[in-house]
Amino acid sequence: MDFDFTSLFAFILFGLTIGVVYGIVALGISLIYSGLDIVHFAHGEIYMFGAFFGLVFSEHMGVPYPLAILSAMVCTGLLGIVIERVFYRRLTRAGGGYTVAGMGMIICGFGMSVVLQNIAYLSWGADAEPFPVDLGEPFQFGDISLPKSYGLTAVIALLLMAVLHFFLKKTKIGLAVRAVAANKDIAFLMGINVPLMISLIFGLACALAAAAGVLIGPMQSVQVEMGYLMLMKAFAAAVVGGFGSLPGAIVGGLLVGIFENLGAAYISPNHKDIYAFLLLILVLMVRPSGLFGVEVRVKA
Amino acid sequence: MLKVTGLETGYGRVQILRGLDMEVPQGRIVALLGGNGTGKSTMLRAVSGLIRVWNGQIEFNGERIDNKAPDQIVRRGLIQVTQGKDSYPSMTVEENLKVGAFTRSDKPGVARDLERVYDYFPVLKERRRQLAGTLSGGEVQMLVIGRGLMAAPKMMLLDEPSAALAPKVVLDIFANINRIARSGVTILVVEQNVRMALILASYAYIIRDGRILIEGDADDLMHDENVKMSFLGGTVADSSREYMS
Ligand SMILES: Nc1ncnc2c1ncn2[C@@H]1O[C@H](COP(=O)(O)OP(=O)(O)O)[C@@H](O)[C@H]1O
Ligand SMILES: [Mg+2]
Repeated sequence: MDFDFTSLFAFILFGLTIGVVYGIVALGISLIYSGLDIVHFAHGEIYMFGAFFGLVFSEHMGVPYPLAILSAMVCTGLLGIVIERVFYRRLTRAGGGYTVAGMGMIICGFGMSVVLQNIAYLSWGADAEPFPVDLGEPFQFGDISLPKSYGLTAVIALLLMAVLHFFLKKTKIGLAVRAVAANKDIAFLMGINVPLMISLIFGLACALAAAAGVLIGPMQSVQVEMGYLMLMKAFAAAVVGGFGSLPGAIVGGLLVGIFENLGAAYISPNHKDIYAFLLLILVLMVRPSGLFGVEVRVKA
Repeated sequence: MLKVTGLETGYGRVQILRGLDMEVPQGRIVALLGGNGTGKSTMLRAVSGLIRVWNGQIEFNGERIDNKAPDQIVRRGLIQVTQGKDSYPSMTVEENLKVGAFTRSDKPGVARDLERVYDYFPVLKERRRQLAGTLSGGEVQMLVIGRGLMAAPKMMLLDEPSAALAPKVVLDIFANINRIARSGVTILVVEQNVRMALILASYAYIIRDGRILIEGDADDLMHDENVKMSFLGGTVADSSREYMS
């Protein structure tokens, strides 16, 4: 392939738009990790549920696309809160507070992912469902035309990040969320309702994944197995950025997005999905705690 | 103000407290003393609702608070400052203090108390935009006490505020604890620095084997032969004498 700057720019641009989506899923994984001390292996399925909810709202119920995103976020957030309350809460408690309860929590996450896949399969079938959203003519950047869905994706994902940032840094509840993430006992002793905050954190993380699902839906299609690849890439993004770090999750997402687009363009498009992991390995070789990981957190 | 009767609790199946009784009257400074691992922090954890009470009861202002959720107990005005000097290291000093005021919605009151904390501990004001993780041990101790004050407590439980601090810093912190008490906050202070605690407090309990072994007025305990033998003759007192000279 001939090298020219326009196509390089295009690859980077496409990489960035998909990267912000990896970023918001990774953000959720990092939020859950720092808030609940669990690595949530069913987060890909939460993302898949979000995509289906969006599809149902937008296609079957005729809700306008932006509103469908919001509705899917709310529904998936509530679904997440129920899952956490009913299934995870006992396990995280059993570990003494909310520390990692050994392998139990990891297995539980995998189990939940299988259960959710099967529920989705029974509800919506195994076929890939197209998610057509007509947003009009593509944007033109010089010679590059970027479909509106890509532009919208980037804008909405960035907006969500900004809202999350404002929430965590400027509001009282956001401060409480950070306090709970950093030290639950002390947060309790400051009069914060820790169990409630944990529900909120989990719900928020699931809502973010849902937004990612509804945003990706129109670019690819919606199907039961879509969660797995997203989980892997979001994990790669979270680890590249430094597990548990929120800015790290976003930067990690962008890097994974760009890296895999460039890899597909200049090395081989047949193995698009391995580039995320290649990047992961490269970064971990240089900085084992990830780009923004200040320390390796040791969990009891 | 705080009344603990027959308190039994522990971790898992291991019982630590075996029927502990103590009382802290309003407006006083009371000390809870005892060696390492005798259950002092465990008792505070039970009072704050962080661990379950197996038996016995805890009354605060005439109301049963045993086995209430920790945030509910805080909302009644009973605040604990733990022994670990646990600040939020990745938040700024001022954010730490704001977390302390989480339960409050009276903005002018919170602003006033922030100034009060800065008045007690001027170094916190200097460092208010700094991350708490960059503070020294003494400054962190001031921060966590200040953070407790931000909740506008009726009563504070202070767990070993002098631990691992230089003598001059300890004096400064104890002077401020005294000041806090005089502003109307009842105080229960847990200490291993027995002599300093007996100077600060008006009444003291000594815990051993999960029960109260000795109790009495601080002045009497200071001159009590038993107490002298078991607590004031050892390394703790020696080092505290050095501190104060
Ligand atoms: N989280 C815990 N799990 C199990 N045992 C504990 C825990 N915390 C403290 N202990 C035990 O309880 C006893 C009393 O501890 P603690 O109340 O911290 O003592 P103190 O504060 O008087 O030094 C000690 O024997 C200690 O080993
Ligand atoms: Mg202790």
